[in-house]
Amino acid sequence: MEDVAPTIAGPDPEPSPERYSDNNLENEIDLEEVRKILSHFHYRDFQEAQELILSALQEINEHFGWVSFDAAEVVAAHFGTTATRVYGLLTFYADFRTEPRGRHFMLLCHGMACYVMGSQRLVENLEDVWGIADGGTTADGELTVQVVNGCLGVCDRAPICKLDADFFGDLTPEKLNVAIRGTIAGRGSWRDAHHPVPAGSNHDR
Amino acid sequence: MTDRLQSHAAFNALQLAAQTRWNEMWEGNRLIVSVGVDSSSEPKGALRVLAACRQALAGTDAIVREVSGNGAMWMEPTVEIKRPGEPPVVYGWIGPDDVPALLAGALQDRAVGVRGADAFGEIPPLGEHPFFKHQQRIVMEDFGVIEPDSIEDAIARGAYNGLIKVLFEMTAEEAIAEVTASGLRGRGGAGFPAGIKWESGRKARARPKFVAVNSHEGEPNVYKDRRIHEGDPHKILEGMLIASIVCGAERAYNYIGGEYPLAIKRFRKAVVDAERLGLIGPNILGSGKDVEIRVRTGGGAYICGEGSALMYSVMGVRGQPRTKPPRSVEEGLWKRPTILNNTETFANVPAIINRGGEWFSQIGTPTSAGTKMMTVQGPLKHVGLVETPMGIPMRILIDEVWGGMRDGHQFRGVQTGGVSAGPLTEEHLDYAVDFDSMTEIGGMLGSGGFVVFDQHVCPVDFARYLTAFNRVESCSKCVPCHRGNPALVEILDRIRLGGGSREDLSLMERTSKHIIDLSLCGLGQVAPMPLLGMMKMYPQDFLDHIDNHLCAAGACPVSATATLATAAD
Repeated sequence: MEDVAPTIAGPDPEPSPERYSDNNLENEIDLEEVRKILSHFHYRDFQEAQELILSALQEINEHFGWVSFDAAEVVAAHFGTTATRVYGLLTFYADFRTEPRGRHFMLLCHGMACYVMGSQRLVENLEDVWGIADGGTTADGELTVQVVNGCLGVCDRAPICKLDADFFGDLTPEKLNVAIRGTIAGRGSWRDAHHPVPAGSNHDR
Repeated sequence: MTDRLQSHAAFNALQLAAQTRWNEMWEGNRLIVSVGVDSSSEPKGALRVLAACRQALAGTDAIVREVSGNGAMWMEPTVEIKRPGEPPVVYGWIGPDDVPALLAGALQDRAVGVRGADAFGEIPPLGEHPFFKHQQRIVMEDFGVIEPDSIEDAIARGAYNGLIKVLFEMTAEEAIAEVTASGLRGRGGAGFPAGIKWESGRKARARPKFVAVNSHEGEPNVYKDRRIHEGDPHKILEGMLIASIVCGAERAYNYIGGEYPLAIKRFRKAVVDAERLGLIGPNILGSGKDVEIRVRTGGGAYICGEGSALMYSVMGVRGQPRTKPPRSVEEGLWKRPTILNNTETFANVPAIINRGGEWFSQIGTPTSAGTKMMTVQGPLKHVGLVETPMGIPMRILIDEVWGGMRDGHQFRGVQTGGVSAGPLTEEHLDYAVDFDSMTEIGGMLGSGGFVVFDQHVCPVDFARYLTAFNRVESCSKCVPCHRGNPALVEILDRIRLGGGSREDLSLMERTSKHIIDLSLCGLGQVAPMPLLGMMKMYPQDFLDHIDNHLCAAGACPVSATATLATAAD
């Protein structure tokens, strides 16, 4: 993939509206499914219910790519709390999204290791070439980026990004653009990186 | 398989069986292939290497194991091969396509070393490689040796011996005395003596009590705790159980950053296995002691590494620190006494209980006993996770352990203490790496994350990056931190764009002082430290930006005509 597309070209200047609505549909949150996920979260007392809210939100966020206000209401009902409290958690913690993801999802590491190896240029490149900043989605709905302030832990290949399920290391702006174009041309989606929680996990502990 | 063990004797029998199986495996004449899979090797294709090994050896009696990496990220993915009658040899840089040649014995040039004391033919022992030579591993002892998903492997290597000791052989007072005598200090950054904390936890009268492990690790440059979960989760679990029993806590929490799926998966597996064997739960091994373990995951907020914020996060609310006192050991989770330590602190405990506090206190320096896990990033040759005795000079770490600078990169400085302290320059490299030495010169051991930077990194820009990190990650509770950090970023941007003046330097110092003096939590109080450190170590760079509109590294958009609006945010 390194050698394809030698020039930098941004996304199609005229994105087709149909595809975006497709993507939205794909990410729509089926509240029945939310209830099914929540049914794994048993609690015996008030304390345990409170402790499990974040884990449940994590799993819903993983499953759908975001958590809607409607879903937050369902979560609140399950744990016997208020939707505003749950929504307050969603906006406080960086891992949660309150808007749908595009078809592809990129975690761009902007930890210190990646910074000293030049990730600032990658962040700028995303804005210049693709028109997206942290948390944003391209106009055609193909790519959502989340800039990670923590660390993806692959520091010897810094700067690094995770595009759907694949990692790309030793990045330059050019290599990043090639990687993004390759991913968009491919058939994958952010769901490829989904980490299902193993069966029999101890949610209820 | 085995049901809940009911007694000390039953555990001994299981341990003997596990050891026998372990010894027979390594002494037998089957081929053993161990692939290092963890969060840093997985992106490099380690899982595909593992699959290729399984496929190539299907139908043979070879044993293919999924171990964790040994910290040497620079040579990942690694595969260890033990052929009958030969010692185990570690090979580096093995891609999925290399597997057939590797198994056929053709890739001898990629053999890095023998895991063991003696050379094998031309292959030297791994311990002679500069990366490993200065290391002494206590926590990382079994990284890459045991299968993290196998409790039998861990038990064969001595896991839970410390737990047995505190259950059946020692009193709680004796166990805490060992921890106190060891001089073990909290590995999360503050360096508070663990023994004192445990003692006050044990004496706390309110019930129930809890133990909590801080495995959040939100710093932008540290991944050691994640790797303990991935390499040897039973060490953490055993440390948690020991702490719970000696302090009288009935429940222990492990709060893991939600962005580490593999760490969570492997730790949960460890908990499930230990519970199956009866090492967790009611009446552990018939001793009458009950401990419950709960795994909780975070949501990616740096502030949740702060003790009280972490507890709020466990309790399912926004992680915002509160005033202290009361300290968490008096009033923590659910307003009950909570003994909170870093993951690495707990992982050191089993060895201290097994081998004695005296032994541990001999390692390292008199005031900072033991070893420290350290991570490095930047343009170095041998980037990786190491565990060395405290007090090792920074120069040895950088030049020998981590292999020195890569070609074309020139050492400029090393940022210490994550986003909580300042950098060290060439002249400070002979300072010892421990809790106390580096604070004198504005550095900090912190949680052991170091970032080496070269001539391409501008100190002004770096200071902006670090301050911007604190700006984003401020929990917004206290105004000085919530408003002060954005103000600092704004001033720094002015300087980066060439619009700064000399007054800006004193303005930044005053603003920093406000943030330091008036913020509530430990993170707010140190937020301006990286900026102050950069200003102290590289004053000329700041002046060059201001007076001459010059950025030597070429990183800042310095020009007199630029406006703030063009600053990249």
